[in-house]
Amino acid sequence: MRRRVLLNVGVPILSLVLVLVVWQLIVVGFHVASYIAPRPREAITSVTSQWSTLWPLILGTIRETIYGYVIGAALGFVLGVVMAKIAIVQRLVYPVILVSQAVPVIALAPVLVIILGFGIVPKIVIVTWIVFFPVTVNVLDGLGHVDPDLKNLARVYGASRWRTFVQIEVPASTTPLFSGLKIGAIYAVTGAIIGELAASEGNSLALYQEHANSNLNTAAVYGTTMVMTLIGIAWFLLVVGLEIWSTPWQRRTVARRRWRRGSDGGAG
Amino acid sequence: MPTTLLELRGVGKVFGGTVALSATSLAIEEGSFVAIVGPSGCGKSTMFNIIAGLVAPDGGDVVLRGATITATTGHVGYMLQKDLLVPWRTVEDNITMATRLTRRVTDEDRAEARRVARQYGLGEFLRHYPSALSGGMRQRVAFMRTLVTHHELLLLDEPFGALDAQTRLEMQEWLLQVWKDTGRTVLFITHDVDESIFLSDRIVVMSPRPGRVVADLANPLARPRGIHTLLEPDFIALKAKVLGLLHGGAA
Ligand SMILES: Nc1ncnc2c1ncn2[C@@H]1O[C@H](COP(=O)(O)OP(=O)(O)O)[C@@H](O)[C@H]1O
Ligand SMILES: [Mg+2]
Repeated sequence: MRRRVLLNVGVPILSLVLVLVVWQLIVVGFHVASYIAPRPREAITSVTSQWSTLWPLILGTIRETIYGYVIGAALGFVLGVVMAKIAIVQRLVYPVILVSQAVPVIALAPVLVIILGFGIVPKIVIVTWIVFFPVTVNVLDGLGHVDPDLKNLARVYGASRWRTFVQIEVPASTTPLFSGLKIGAIYAVTGAIIGELAASEGNSLALYQEHANSNLNTAAVYGTTMVMTLIGIAWFLLVVGLEIWSTPWQRRTVARRRWRRGSDGGAG
Repeated sequence: MPTTLLELRGVGKVFGGTVALSATSLAIEEGSFVAIVGPSGCGKSTMFNIIAGLVAPDGGDVVLRGATITATTGHVGYMLQKDLLVPWRTVEDNITMATRLTRRVTDEDRAEARRVARQYGLGEFLRHYPSALSGGMRQRVAFMRTLVTHHELLLLDEPFGALDAQTRLEMQEWLLQVWKDTGRTVLFITHDVDESIFLSDRIVVMSPRPGRVVADLANPLARPRGIHTLLEPDFIALKAKVLGLLHGGAA
Protein backbone atom coordinates (compact mmCIF):
# COMPACT_ATOMS: atom_id res chain seq x y z
CA MET A 1 0.00 0.00 0.00
CA ARG A 2 2.73 2.43 1.04
CA ARG A 3 4.76 1.35 -1.94
CA ARG A 4 1.85 1.98 -4.27
CA VAL A 5 1.27 5.49 -2.96
CA LEU A 6 4.96 6.18 -3.39
CA LEU A 7 4.81 4.87 -6.93
CA ASN A 8 1.62 6.71 -7.86
CA VAL A 9 2.42 10.06 -6.28
CA GLY A 10 6.16 10.12 -5.84
CA VAL A 11 7.18 9.12 -9.33
CA PRO A 12 5.04 11.70 -11.20
CA ILE A 13 6.31 14.46 -8.89
CA LEU A 14 9.85 13.27 -9.46
CA SER A 15 9.39 13.36 -13.22
CA LEU A 16 8.07 16.94 -13.04
CA VAL A 17 11.02 17.98 -10.91
CA LEU A 18 13.22 16.34 -13.52
CA VAL A 19 11.68 18.57 -16.20
CA LEU A 20 12.63 21.63 -14.15
CA VAL A 21 16.14 20.27 -13.67
CA VAL A 22 16.58 19.67 -17.41
CA TRP A 23 15.23 23.15 -18.10
CA GLN A 24 17.72 24.62 -15.66
CA LEU A 25 20.58 22.61 -17.15
CA ILE A 26 19.75 23.69 -20.70
CA VAL A 27 19.43 27.36 -19.84
CA VAL A 28 22.62 27.40 -17.80
CA GLY A 29 24.59 24.92 -19.88
CA PHE A 30 23.93 26.58 -23.23
CA HIS A 31 24.03 30.11 -21.85
CA VAL A 32 20.54 30.82 -23.12
CA ALA A 33 19.76 34.53 -22.90
CA SER A 34 17.15 35.37 -20.30
CA TYR A 35 14.94 37.14 -22.86
CA ILE A 36 14.70 33.80 -24.69
CA ALA A 37 14.30 31.52 -21.70
CA PRO A 38 14.44 32.36 -18.01
CA ARG A 39 15.62 29.94 -15.39
CA PRO A 40 12.82 27.98 -13.69
CA ARG A 41 13.35 30.00 -10.54
CA GLU A 42 12.85 33.30 -12.36
CA ALA A 43 9.71 32.02 -14.01
CA ILE A 44 8.33 30.93 -10.65
CA THR A 45 9.25 34.24 -9.01
CA SER A 46 7.52 36.15 -11.79
CA VAL A 47 4.34 34.40 -10.71
CA THR A 48 4.70 34.65 -6.94
CA SER A 49 5.70 38.31 -7.03
CA GLN A 50 2.59 39.20 -9.06
CA TRP A 51 0.30 36.83 -7.19
CA SER A 52 -2.28 39.42 -6.13
CA THR A 53 -2.71 40.48 -9.77
CA LEU A 54 -2.65 36.95 -11.08
CA TRP A 55 -4.95 35.25 -8.61
CA PRO A 56 -8.22 36.84 -9.85
CA LEU A 57 -7.17 36.03 -13.43
CA ILE A 58 -6.45 32.44 -12.45
CA LEU A 59 -9.84 32.23 -10.79
CA GLY A 60 -11.39 33.57 -13.98
CA THR A 61 -9.73 30.88 -16.06
CA ILE A 62 -10.74 28.20 -13.55
CA ARG A 63 -14.31 29.44 -13.63
CA GLU A 64 -14.48 29.26 -17.43
CA THR A 65 -12.91 25.82 -17.33
CA ILE A 66 -15.31 24.46 -14.73
CA TYR A 67 -18.46 25.81 -16.37
CA GLY A 68 -17.41 24.70 -19.81
CA TYR A 69 -16.24 21.33 -18.57
CA VAL A 70 -19.34 20.50 -16.58
CA ILE A 71 -21.64 21.57 -19.40
CA GLY A 72 -19.48 19.79 -21.97
CA ALA A 73 -19.27 16.57 -19.95
CA ALA A 74 -23.02 16.55 -19.31
CA LEU A 75 -23.81 17.35 -22.93
CA GLY A 76 -21.30 14.75 -24.09
CA PHE A 77 -22.81 12.10 -21.86
CA VAL A 78 -26.38 12.82 -22.91
CA LEU A 79 -25.42 12.91 -26.59
CA GLY A 80 -23.55 9.61 -26.23
CA VAL A 81 -26.53 7.98 -24.55
CA VAL A 82 -29.08 9.29 -27.04
CA MET A 83 -26.90 8.27 -29.97
CA ALA A 84 -26.32 4.82 -28.49
CA LYS A 85 -30.04 4.30 -27.90
CA ILE A 86 -31.55 5.78 -31.05
CA ALA A 87 -29.89 4.63 -34.26
CA ILE A 88 -31.38 7.37 -36.42
CA VAL A 89 -30.08 10.06 -34.09
CA GLN A 90 -26.64 8.50 -34.29
CA ARG A 91 -26.74 8.56 -38.10
CA LEU A 92 -27.92 12.16 -38.14
CA VAL A 93 -25.73 13.60 -35.42
CA TYR A 94 -22.45 11.77 -35.82
CA PRO A 95 -21.38 13.59 -39.02
CA VAL A 96 -22.27 16.93 -37.47
CA ILE A 97 -20.19 16.14 -34.41
CA LEU A 98 -17.25 15.13 -36.54
CA VAL A 99 -17.49 18.34 -38.54
CA SER A 100 -17.66 20.34 -35.31
CA GLN A 101 -14.34 18.87 -34.26
CA ALA A 102 -12.73 19.46 -37.63
CA VAL A 103 -13.29 23.18 -37.23
CA PRO A 104 -10.06 24.67 -35.84
CA VAL A 105 -11.11 26.03 -32.48
CA ILE A 106 -8.85 29.03 -32.86
CA ALA A 107 -10.79 30.00 -35.99
CA LEU A 108 -14.05 29.42 -34.23
CA ALA A 109 -13.33 31.96 -31.51
CA PRO A 110 -13.91 35.14 -33.54
CA VAL A 111 -17.14 33.70 -34.86
CA LEU A 112 -18.33 33.12 -31.33
CA VAL A 113 -17.39 36.64 -30.36
CA ILE A 114 -19.46 37.96 -33.25
CA ILE A 115 -22.43 35.90 -32.11
CA LEU A 116 -22.04 35.98 -28.33
CA GLY A 117 -19.99 39.09 -27.74
CA PHE A 118 -17.21 39.32 -25.17
CA GLY A 119 -17.51 38.08 -21.63
CA ILE A 120 -17.50 34.59 -20.22
CA VAL A 121 -20.05 32.96 -22.54
CA PRO A 122 -17.88 32.44 -25.66
CA LYS A 123 -15.12 30.95 -23.48
CA ILE A 124 -17.52 28.51 -21.89
CA VAL A 125 -18.80 27.58 -25.34
CA ILE A 126 -15.29 26.83 -26.56
CA VAL A 127 -14.48 24.67 -23.55
CA THR A 128 -17.78 22.85 -23.97
CA TRP A 129 -17.05 22.43 -27.66
CA ILE A 130 -13.75 20.73 -26.90
CA VAL A 131 -14.85 18.67 -23.91
CA PHE A 132 -18.07 17.08 -25.12
CA PHE A 133 -16.50 15.23 -28.03
CA PRO A 134 -14.23 12.70 -26.25
CA VAL A 135 -17.00 12.13 -23.71
CA THR A 136 -19.61 11.44 -26.38
CA VAL A 137 -17.37 9.14 -28.37
CA ASN A 138 -16.33 7.13 -25.33
CA VAL A 139 -19.83 6.87 -23.87
CA LEU A 140 -21.15 5.75 -27.24
CA ASP A 141 -18.39 3.18 -27.48
CA GLY A 142 -18.81 2.01 -23.88
CA LEU A 143 -22.58 1.57 -24.13
CA GLY A 144 -22.11 -0.31 -27.39
CA HIS A 145 -19.82 -2.80 -25.74
CA VAL A 146 -21.88 -3.80 -22.72
CA ASP A 147 -22.08 -7.61 -22.64
CA PRO A 148 -25.33 -8.52 -24.43
CA ASP A 149 -25.66 -11.58 -22.19
CA LEU A 150 -25.75 -9.29 -19.19
CA LYS A 151 -28.46 -7.19 -20.78
CA ASN A 152 -30.38 -10.36 -21.63
CA LEU A 153 -30.09 -11.53 -18.05
CA ALA A 154 -31.60 -8.24 -16.93
CA ARG A 155 -34.43 -8.79 -19.38
CA VAL A 156 -35.05 -12.31 -18.08
CA TYR A 157 -35.44 -10.86 -14.61
CA GLY A 158 -38.03 -8.47 -15.95
CA ALA A 159 -35.93 -5.31 -15.68
CA SER A 160 -37.23 -2.13 -17.26
CA ARG A 161 -35.05 -0.37 -19.81
CA TRP A 162 -34.43 2.41 -17.34
CA ARG A 163 -33.22 0.09 -14.58
CA THR A 164 -31.09 -1.86 -17.01
CA PHE A 165 -29.55 1.43 -18.07
CA VAL A 166 -28.88 2.69 -14.56
CA GLN A 167 -27.90 -0.59 -12.93
CA ILE A 168 -26.06 -2.30 -15.76
CA GLU A 169 -25.18 -0.14 -18.74
CA VAL A 170 -23.88 2.97 -17.02
CA PRO A 171 -21.69 1.22 -14.44
CA ALA A 172 -20.42 -1.14 -17.14
CA SER A 173 -19.30 1.92 -19.11
CA THR A 174 -17.41 3.73 -16.37
CA THR A 175 -13.96 2.98 -17.75
CA PRO A 176 -14.57 4.48 -21.21
CA LEU A 177 -16.63 7.28 -19.64
CA PHE A 178 -13.68 8.31 -17.50
CA SER A 179 -11.31 8.00 -20.46
CA GLY A 180 -13.43 10.63 -22.19
CA LEU A 181 -13.64 12.77 -19.07
CA LYS A 182 -9.87 12.66 -18.59
CA ILE A 183 -9.09 13.59 -22.19
CA GLY A 184 -11.62 16.40 -21.89
CA ALA A 185 -10.07 17.58 -18.63
CA ILE A 186 -6.63 17.96 -20.10
CA TYR A 187 -7.92 19.97 -23.09
CA ALA A 188 -10.41 22.08 -21.17
CA VAL A 189 -7.92 24.70 -20.02
CA THR A 190 -6.54 25.00 -23.54
CA GLY A 191 -10.07 25.85 -24.66
CA ALA A 192 -10.47 28.44 -21.95
CA ILE A 193 -7.17 30.13 -22.89
CA ILE A 194 -8.04 30.18 -26.58
CA GLY A 195 -11.33 31.79 -25.63
CA GLU A 196 -9.55 34.38 -23.51
CA LEU A 197 -7.16 35.21 -26.33
CA ALA A 198 -9.94 35.80 -28.81
CA ALA A 199 -12.69 37.16 -26.65
CA SER A 200 -11.22 39.17 -23.83
CA GLU A 201 -11.72 42.87 -23.62
CA GLY A 202 -10.56 43.32 -20.05
CA ASN A 203 -8.53 41.06 -17.84
CA SER A 204 -7.61 37.46 -18.39
CA LEU A 205 -4.72 35.13 -17.90
CA ALA A 206 -4.14 34.88 -21.65
CA LEU A 207 -4.07 38.65 -22.07
CA TYR A 208 -1.78 38.99 -19.07
CA GLN A 209 0.64 36.73 -20.87
CA GLU A 210 0.32 38.66 -24.13
CA HIS A 211 0.97 41.82 -22.22
CA ALA A 212 4.08 40.35 -20.59
CA ASN A 213 5.22 39.24 -24.01
CA SER A 214 4.93 42.69 -25.54
CA ASN A 215 6.82 44.06 -22.54
CA LEU A 216 9.63 41.56 -23.22
CA ASN A 217 9.00 40.11 -19.75
CA THR A 218 10.04 36.60 -20.75
CA ALA A 219 10.04 35.26 -17.21
CA ALA A 220 6.36 36.20 -16.81
CA VAL A 221 5.51 34.63 -20.20
CA TYR A 222 7.00 31.35 -19.03
CA GLY A 223 5.54 31.72 -15.57
CA THR A 224 2.03 32.28 -16.91
CA THR A 225 2.40 29.24 -19.15
CA MET A 226 3.33 27.21 -16.10
CA VAL A 227 0.27 28.48 -14.25
CA MET A 228 -2.00 27.52 -17.15
CA THR A 229 -0.42 24.09 -17.28
CA LEU A 230 -0.87 23.62 -13.56
CA ILE A 231 -4.56 24.47 -13.81
CA GLY A 232 -4.91 21.81 -16.50
CA ILE A 233 -3.04 19.22 -14.45
CA ALA A 234 -5.01 20.03 -11.31
CA TRP A 235 -8.25 19.60 -13.20
CA PHE A 236 -7.07 16.31 -14.68
CA LEU A 237 -6.03 15.04 -11.26
CA LEU A 238 -9.41 16.01 -9.85
CA VAL A 239 -11.10 13.86 -12.47
CA VAL A 240 -8.67 11.00 -11.78
CA GLY A 241 -9.53 11.35 -8.09
CA LEU A 242 -13.22 11.20 -8.92
CA GLU A 243 -12.62 8.04 -10.91
CA ILE A 244 -10.68 6.39 -8.11
CA TRP A 245 -13.31 7.37 -5.58
CA SER A 246 -16.23 6.13 -7.68
CA THR A 247 -14.72 2.84 -8.84
CA PRO A 248 -13.41 1.14 -5.70
CA TRP A 249 -13.85 -2.31 -7.21
CA GLN A 250 -11.00 -1.68 -9.60
CA ARG A 251 -8.47 -1.53 -6.80
CA ARG A 252 -9.96 -3.38 -3.87
CA THR A 253 -10.89 -6.99 -3.30
CA VAL A 254 -13.14 -6.21 -0.35
CA ALA A 255 -15.59 -3.32 -0.10
CA ARG A 256 -14.62 -0.77 2.47
CA ARG A 257 -18.09 -0.26 3.88
CA ARG A 258 -21.72 -0.76 2.97
CA TRP A 259 -22.22 1.07 -0.22
CA ARG A 260 -25.74 2.29 -0.77
CA ARG A 261 -26.97 4.68 -3.32
CA GLY A 262 -30.17 6.08 -4.81
CA SER A 263 -32.26 3.25 -6.12
CA ASP A 264 -30.62 0.89 -3.68
CA GLY A 265 -32.67 2.34 -0.90
CA GLY A 266 -31.79 2.17 2.75
CA ALA A 267 -30.09 4.87 4.72
CA GLY A 268 -26.43 5.15 5.53
CA MET B 1 -50.05 -37.45 -8.77
CA PRO B 2 -47.29 -34.87 -9.25
CA THR B 3 -48.23 -31.49 -10.67
CA THR B 4 -46.82 -30.16 -13.89
CA LEU B 5 -44.95 -26.91 -13.38
CA LEU B 6 -43.84 -26.15 -16.91
CA GLU B 7 -45.23 -27.21 -20.21
CA LEU B 8 -43.85 -26.58 -23.67
CA ARG B 9 -46.55 -27.03 -26.28
CA GLY B 10 -45.00 -27.36 -29.67
CA VAL B 11 -42.54 -24.48 -29.39
CA GLY B 12 -40.00 -24.17 -32.20
CA LYS B 13 -37.74 -21.55 -33.67
CA VAL B 14 -36.21 -20.87 -37.04
CA PHE B 15 -33.46 -18.26 -37.34
CA GLY B 16 -33.23 -17.02 -40.92
CA GLY B 17 -33.70 -20.42 -42.53
CA THR B 18 -31.82 -22.36 -39.84
CA VAL B 19 -34.03 -24.52 -37.70
CA ALA B 20 -32.66 -23.82 -34.24
CA LEU B 21 -35.32 -25.88 -32.49
CA SER B 22 -37.96 -28.14 -34.05
CA ALA B 23 -41.43 -27.92 -32.56
CA THR B 24 -40.92 -29.36 -29.09
CA SER B 25 -43.34 -30.46 -26.41
CA LEU B 26 -42.23 -31.20 -22.91
CA ALA B 27 -43.77 -31.31 -19.46
CA ILE B 28 -41.72 -30.71 -16.34
CA GLU B 29 -42.92 -31.83 -12.94
CA GLU B 30 -42.80 -29.58 -9.96
CA GLY B 31 -39.71 -30.15 -7.82
CA SER B 32 -37.94 -32.33 -10.35
CA PHE B 33 -34.40 -32.06 -11.67
CA VAL B 34 -34.40 -32.53 -15.42
CA ALA B 35 -31.19 -32.67 -17.43
CA ILE B 36 -31.13 -31.81 -21.10
CA VAL B 37 -28.29 -33.27 -23.11
CA GLY B 38 -27.55 -32.83 -26.76
CA PRO B 39 -24.75 -31.96 -29.12
CA SER B 40 -23.66 -28.37 -29.41
CA GLY B 41 -25.90 -26.27 -31.67
CA CYS B 42 -28.97 -28.49 -31.30
CA GLY B 43 -31.09 -25.72 -29.81
CA LYS B 44 -30.80 -26.27 -26.08
CA SER B 45 -30.05 -22.64 -25.30
CA THR B 46 -32.72 -21.58 -27.75
CA MET B 47 -35.21 -23.68 -25.82
CA PHE B 48 -34.16 -21.91 -22.60
CA ASN B 49 -34.38 -18.52 -24.24
CA ILE B 50 -37.91 -19.34 -25.33
CA ILE B 51 -38.87 -20.44 -21.82
CA ALA B 52 -37.24 -17.36 -20.33
CA GLY B 53 -39.12 -15.13 -22.78
CA LEU B 54 -36.03 -13.76 -24.49
CA VAL B 55 -36.94 -15.40 -27.78
CA ALA B 56 -40.46 -15.54 -29.15
CA PRO B 57 -41.15 -19.01 -30.58
CA ASP B 58 -42.44 -19.25 -34.15
CA GLY B 59 -45.36 -21.24 -32.81
CA GLY B 60 -46.57 -23.00 -29.71
CA ASP B 61 -46.87 -21.92 -26.14
CA VAL B 62 -44.94 -21.89 -22.90
CA VAL B 63 -47.17 -22.61 -19.95
CA LEU B 64 -46.04 -22.14 -16.37
CA ARG B 65 -48.35 -23.46 -13.69
CA GLY B 66 -51.28 -23.24 -16.06
CA ALA B 67 -50.61 -19.67 -17.19
CA THR B 68 -49.35 -18.91 -20.67
CA ILE B 69 -46.08 -16.96 -20.43
CA THR B 70 -44.95 -17.20 -24.04
CA ALA B 71 -42.53 -14.41 -24.96
CA THR B 72 -42.83 -12.68 -21.60
CA THR B 73 -39.99 -12.31 -19.13
CA GLY B 74 -39.74 -12.19 -15.36
CA HIS B 75 -41.05 -15.68 -14.60
CA VAL B 76 -37.99 -17.88 -14.22
CA GLY B 77 -34.51 -17.96 -12.76
CA TYR B 78 -31.78 -18.20 -15.38
CA MET B 79 -28.08 -18.86 -15.21
CA LEU B 80 -25.41 -19.36 -17.84
CA GLN B 81 -21.89 -20.74 -18.07
CA LYS B 82 -20.77 -17.11 -17.85
CA ASP B 83 -21.49 -16.07 -14.29
CA LEU B 84 -22.45 -12.52 -15.38
CA LEU B 85 -21.61 -11.10 -11.96
CA VAL B 86 -21.15 -7.36 -12.15
CA PRO B 87 -17.64 -6.36 -11.07
CA TRP B 88 -18.80 -3.14 -9.42
CA ARG B 89 -20.97 -4.87 -6.83
CA THR B 90 -19.95 -6.94 -3.84
CA VAL B 91 -20.98 -10.58 -3.52
CA GLU B 92 -23.92 -9.58 -1.35
CA ASP B 93 -25.05 -6.94 -3.82
CA ASN B 94 -24.61 -9.32 -6.72
CA ILE B 95 -26.88 -11.81 -5.02
CA THR B 96 -29.59 -9.16 -4.73
CA MET B 97 -28.94 -7.91 -8.28
CA ALA B 98 -32.01 -9.49 -9.84
CA THR B 99 -34.19 -7.78 -7.26
CA ARG B 100 -32.43 -4.47 -7.80
CA LEU B 101 -33.31 -4.69 -11.47
CA THR B 102 -37.02 -4.70 -10.74
CA ARG B 103 -37.51 -2.80 -7.50
CA ARG B 104 -35.84 -1.32 -4.46
CA VAL B 105 -33.68 -3.73 -2.52
CA THR B 106 -34.97 -3.89 1.04
CA ASP B 107 -33.18 -4.80 4.25
CA GLU B 108 -35.03 -8.12 4.17
CA ASP B 109 -33.64 -8.81 0.71
CA ARG B 110 -30.16 -8.15 1.98
CA ALA B 111 -30.69 -10.25 5.07
CA GLU B 112 -31.87 -13.12 2.91
CA ALA B 113 -28.89 -12.77 0.61
CA ARG B 114 -26.56 -12.94 3.60
CA ARG B 115 -28.42 -15.89 5.04
CA VAL B 116 -28.24 -18.05 1.91
CA ALA B 117 -24.64 -17.01 1.30
CA ARG B 118 -23.65 -18.07 4.81
CA GLN B 119 -25.62 -21.26 4.57
CA TYR B 120 -23.90 -22.30 1.36
CA GLY B 121 -20.30 -21.44 2.05
CA LEU B 122 -20.03 -17.84 0.89
CA GLY B 123 -20.36 -16.15 4.26
CA GLU B 124 -16.79 -14.92 4.39
CA PHE B 125 -17.01 -13.35 0.95
CA LEU B 126 -20.10 -11.18 1.30
CA ARG B 127 -18.17 -7.94 1.03
CA HIS B 128 -15.72 -9.15 -1.58
CA TYR B 129 -15.86 -7.97 -5.13
CA PRO B 130 -16.28 -10.81 -7.65
CA SER B 131 -12.79 -10.26 -9.05
CA ALA B 132 -11.42 -11.71 -5.81
CA LEU B 133 -13.26 -15.03 -6.24
CA SER B 134 -12.39 -18.27 -8.00
CA GLY B 135 -14.50 -19.58 -10.89
CA GLY B 136 -16.34 -22.04 -8.67
CA MET B 137 -17.09 -19.37 -6.07
CA ARG B 138 -18.36 -17.03 -8.74
CA GLN B 139 -20.75 -19.68 -10.03
CA ARG B 140 -22.02 -20.19 -6.51
CA VAL B 141 -22.75 -16.48 -6.24
CA ALA B 142 -24.45 -16.54 -9.62
CA PHE B 143 -26.59 -19.44 -8.46
CA MET B 144 -27.47 -17.65 -5.21
CA ARG B 145 -28.52 -14.67 -7.29
CA THR B 146 -30.78 -16.99 -9.29
CA LEU B 147 -32.14 -18.56 -6.12
CA VAL B 148 -33.21 -15.38 -4.33
CA THR B 149 -35.44 -14.40 -7.24
CA HIS B 150 -37.88 -16.92 -5.68
CA HIS B 151 -38.86 -18.30 -9.02
CA GLU B 152 -39.93 -21.93 -8.80
CA LEU B 153 -38.27 -22.83 -12.07
CA LEU B 154 -34.52 -22.45 -12.49
CA LEU B 155 -32.96 -22.69 -15.95
CA LEU B 156 -29.29 -23.56 -15.72
CA ASP B 157 -27.49 -23.50 -19.06
CA GLU B 158 -24.19 -25.40 -18.74
CA PRO B 159 -23.45 -23.56 -15.47
CA PHE B 160 -20.37 -25.64 -14.70
CA GLY B 161 -19.13 -25.94 -18.25
CA ALA B 162 -16.08 -23.75 -17.68
CA LEU B 163 -14.92 -25.33 -14.42
CA ASP B 164 -12.19 -27.92 -13.99
CA ALA B 165 -13.25 -31.50 -13.27
CA GLN B 166 -12.53 -31.37 -9.53
CA THR B 167 -14.38 -28.11 -8.94
CA ARG B 168 -17.19 -29.28 -11.16
CA LEU B 169 -17.80 -32.37 -9.04
CA GLU B 170 -17.81 -30.24 -5.89
CA MET B 171 -20.27 -27.86 -7.50
CA GLN B 172 -22.54 -30.71 -8.56
CA GLU B 173 -22.75 -32.04 -5.02
CA TRP B 174 -23.24 -28.53 -3.74
CA LEU B 175 -26.04 -27.90 -6.23
CA LEU B 176 -27.82 -31.13 -5.25
CA GLN B 177 -27.68 -30.04 -1.62
CA VAL B 178 -29.18 -26.63 -2.39
CA TRP B 179 -31.80 -28.19 -4.63
CA LYS B 180 -32.78 -30.64 -1.90
CA ASP B 181 -33.03 -27.84 0.68
CA THR B 182 -35.02 -25.43 -1.45
CA GLY B 183 -37.28 -27.74 -3.42
CA ARG B 184 -37.03 -25.78 -6.63
CA THR B 185 -37.55 -27.23 -10.07
CA VAL B 186 -34.38 -27.34 -12.12
CA LEU B 187 -33.88 -27.60 -15.87
CA PHE B 188 -30.19 -28.22 -16.45
CA ILE B 189 -28.47 -28.13 -19.81
CA THR B 190 -25.19 -29.94 -20.19
CA HIS B 191 -23.25 -31.74 -22.84
CA ASP B 192 -21.51 -33.79 -20.16
CA VAL B 193 -23.36 -37.10 -19.97
CA ASP B 194 -21.89 -37.99 -16.56
CA GLU B 195 -23.11 -34.70 -15.19
CA SER B 196 -26.60 -35.18 -16.57
CA ILE B 197 -26.90 -38.59 -14.94
CA PHE B 198 -25.30 -37.61 -11.66
CA LEU B 199 -27.70 -34.71 -11.12
CA SER B 200 -31.05 -35.56 -12.62
CA ASP B 201 -34.31 -37.40 -12.06
CA ARG B 202 -34.87 -37.43 -15.75
CA ILE B 203 -32.80 -36.97 -18.86
CA VAL B 204 -34.07 -35.40 -22.05
CA VAL B 205 -31.84 -36.29 -24.98
CA MET B 206 -31.83 -34.10 -28.07
CA SER B 207 -30.74 -34.85 -31.61
CA PRO B 208 -28.18 -32.87 -33.60
CA ARG B 209 -29.46 -29.90 -35.57
CA PRO B 210 -32.30 -29.42 -36.26
CA GLY B 211 -32.77 -30.19 -32.58
CA ARG B 212 -35.64 -32.24 -31.32
CA VAL B 213 -36.23 -34.51 -28.36
CA VAL B 214 -35.20 -38.05 -29.22
CA ALA B 215 -35.52 -39.67 -25.81
CA ASP B 216 -36.91 -38.93 -22.39
CA LEU B 217 -35.33 -41.23 -19.83
CA ALA B 218 -36.15 -41.75 -16.18
CA ASN B 219 -33.07 -41.79 -13.97
CA PRO B 220 -33.42 -44.57 -11.39
CA LEU B 221 -30.31 -43.78 -9.35
CA ALA B 222 -30.93 -43.40 -5.64
CA ARG B 223 -30.29 -40.19 -3.73
CA PRO B 224 -28.29 -38.87 -2.01
CA ARG B 225 -25.64 -39.26 -4.63
CA GLY B 226 -21.90 -39.07 -4.26
CA ILE B 227 -18.75 -40.22 -5.91
CA HIS B 228 -19.86 -43.82 -5.35
CA THR B 229 -22.81 -43.15 -7.66
CA LEU B 230 -20.45 -42.82 -10.59
CA LEU B 231 -19.46 -46.46 -10.22
CA GLU B 232 -22.88 -48.07 -9.89
CA PRO B 233 -24.04 -50.47 -12.60
CA ASP B 234 -27.22 -48.40 -13.12
CA PHE B 235 -25.05 -45.37 -13.76
CA ILE B 236 -22.96 -47.20 -16.34
CA ALA B 237 -26.04 -48.63 -18.01
CA LEU B 238 -27.72 -45.26 -18.28
CA LYS B 239 -24.53 -43.69 -19.56
CA ALA B 240 -24.25 -46.34 -22.28
CA LYS B 241 -27.82 -45.65 -23.30
CA VAL B 242 -27.43 -41.87 -23.46
CA LEU B 243 -24.13 -42.09 -25.32
CA GLY B 244 -25.75 -44.48 -27.77
CA LEU B 245 -28.58 -42.04 -28.38
CA LEU B 246 -26.20 -39.12 -28.83
CA HIS B 247 -23.96 -40.94 -31.24
CA GLY B 248 -26.62 -42.41 -33.48
CA GLY B 249 -26.56 -46.09 -32.57
CA ALA B 250 -29.09 -47.65 -30.18
CA ALA B 251 -27.63 -49.02 -26.97
N1 LIG C 1 -30.14 -15.24 -32.03
C1 LIG C 1 -29.81 -16.13 -33.00
N2 LIG C 1 -29.75 -15.75 -34.29
C2 LIG C 1 -29.42 -16.64 -35.25
N3 LIG C 1 -29.14 -17.92 -35.02
C3 LIG C 1 -29.17 -18.36 -33.76
C4 LIG C 1 -29.49 -17.49 -32.67
N4 LIG C 1 -29.46 -18.21 -31.53
C5 LIG C 1 -29.10 -19.46 -31.88
N5 LIG C 1 -28.94 -19.55 -33.22
C6 LIG C 1 -28.59 -20.78 -33.96
O1 LIG C 1 -29.48 -21.76 -33.55
C7 LIG C 1 -28.83 -23.00 -33.40
C8 LIG C 1 -29.03 -23.54 -32.01
O2 LIG C 1 -28.28 -22.73 -31.12
P1 LIG C 1 -28.30 -22.95 -29.54
O3 LIG C 1 -29.69 -22.97 -29.07
O4 LIG C 1 -27.40 -21.95 -28.94
O5 LIG C 1 -27.65 -24.41 -29.41
P2 LIG C 1 -27.03 -25.16 -28.15
O6 LIG C 1 -27.29 -24.34 -26.93
O7 LIG C 1 -27.72 -26.48 -28.13
O8 LIG C 1 -25.57 -25.33 -28.41
C9 LIG C 1 -27.39 -22.77 -33.77
O9 LIG C 1 -27.20 -23.14 -35.12
C10 LIG C 1 -27.22 -21.30 -33.60
O10 LIG C 1 -26.24 -20.81 -34.46
MG1 LIG D 1 -25.94 -23.44 -25.61
